[in-house]
Amino acid sequence: MAAKILPVVKFATKVTIAGGALYVAYDSGLLGDSKEGSVTLGRAKAAIPPAVEEWMKYFGFELPATPKIEFSPLDAWNSGVQKSIHALSVTPSTVSDYTKQGLQYVKDLTK
Amino acid sequence: MSEKEFGQKWDRCLADCAVKFGTGLGLGIVFSVVFFKRRTWPIVFGTGLGLGMAYSNCQNDLRSRYVLHSKVAKEQ
Repeated sequence: MAAKILPVVKFATKVTIAGGALYVAYDSGLLGDSKEGSVTLGRAKAAIPPAVEEWMKYFGFELPATPKIEFSPLDAWNSGVQKSIHALSVTPSTVSDYTKQGLQYVKDLTK
Repeated sequence: MSEKEFGQKWDRCLADCAVKFGTGLGLGIVFSVVFFKRRTWPIVFGTGLGLGMAYSNCQNDLRSRYVLHSKVAKEQ
């Protein structure tokens, strides 16, 4: 009798685990609107430091302090975009200037 | 749509993309391990579902300014 029930129990456990994971994702707003998603992200970010501290106390060792990175990818990207577009926009006038200078130089040589 | 509002919407879009990608990946892994004998396709499917949900949310969010919203008047 146990051999007959075991597959059913296994299947029921699997369904419970998968269904529970799906329900947790739905309940915490991960599958909803973008506003709910950012709220959940904020809550998770706020919950990480206390959780990390708890784990550190439990295991009894200190994690090395995260080094302060002064580099901001956003600023770097923005300034990169601005510089490239500016360079593209001044290219025609710069090229024509250089061409004029080059032609003038050649004219001077042939005088 | 003002520049500021547009920027906020894009920020929300990207954050939502990351959240849904992670959720889809996680749920795909759970389903793959539990039901499908650790095959790869449920993971890819879940990730794709997550990205698709994020895309759809982004689309609705960016279009919401220009969509007419109406209310059905109750019959009296």
